[in-house]
Amino acid sequence: METQTVRKFKWFWAWQDDKEEAWLSEMAQSGWHLKWPAFPCIYTFEAGAPRDDVYRLDFITSNKDYQDYLQLFQDAGWVHLGSMGGWQYFRKTKQGTEIPEIYTDPESKMQKYRRLLSLLVIFFPIYIVLLTNSPADSTHLIYQIGKLLGGFLVILFGIAMIKIYLRMNQLKRL
Amino acid sequence: MPNRDETTKYLPLSEATCYILLSLVEPLHGYALMQKVEVMSQGTVKIGPGTLYGAFTVLEKEGLIVKVDERDRRKSYLLTAKGRAVLLEQVRRSEILVRNGIEITKGW
Repeated sequence: METQTVRKFKWFWAWQDDKEEAWLSEMAQSGWHLKWPAFPCIYTFEAGAPRDDVYRLDFITSNKDYQDYLQLFQDAGWVHLGSMGGWQYFRKTKQGTEIPEIYTDPESKMQKYRRLLSLLVIFFPIYIVLLTNSPADSTHLIYQIGKLLGGFLVILFGIAMIKIYLRMNQLKRL
Repeated sequence: MPNRDETTKYLPLSEATCYILLSLVEPLHGYALMQKVEVMSQGTVKIGPGTLYGAFTVLEKEGLIVKVDERDRRKSYLLTAKGRAVLLEQVRRSEILVRNGIEITKGW
């Protein structure tokens, strides 16, 4: 008997990882379990019994020792559901009232957001340079639209960096 | 033997890092370490895989631990001389704090 699957599209910004985790848990409590994530933000769920599952997302920038990385999570009881642009999707069933975490202290959790930020910080100046170097014939409509789009992306990057920085600061403690 | 400046720049260590270094006096791999820390700390400190993976990366890069084995995609690490020096310094520092704490909170 084939299990029912459904695909959903839901957009989450990089700094909304906690919302994304909460949404996946809610789906699981309704009997829809994430089978795999796909770019861009398309989730495949399969039907099953409702479960009190915890979903956690990690973000990595290097694939060095990726197999060791996955093995460590597996040993710790986390199921890997796939990756989407650096984001790693993990699931673990709650045992008792305790909520399992992949990051157990704020400093280490900040590393995840630092990695995200460092990626954006690299691309931000590249975009600025591209934007400020327009070709000679810059009155053409195509270039105007291009510039507008570029400007929009620069603003988006700026917002993303600020939001992630704020998210990091939420984690600071005494 | 590493000099004092090289070791004190890492202090104070987080609780998790402290326990990781304490556990690696003998070779241990990821999950075994996670279990050992939970027992050693009497349940007060738990280390998640994300935290541990990050800690291993940084500690190895700074030369406080070294990889001694790799089997079935699991790396085992061990404290280096530098790691021992840092740990010793942290324990000395924590001891002063705890002595103060015990004295002041007597009878609370």
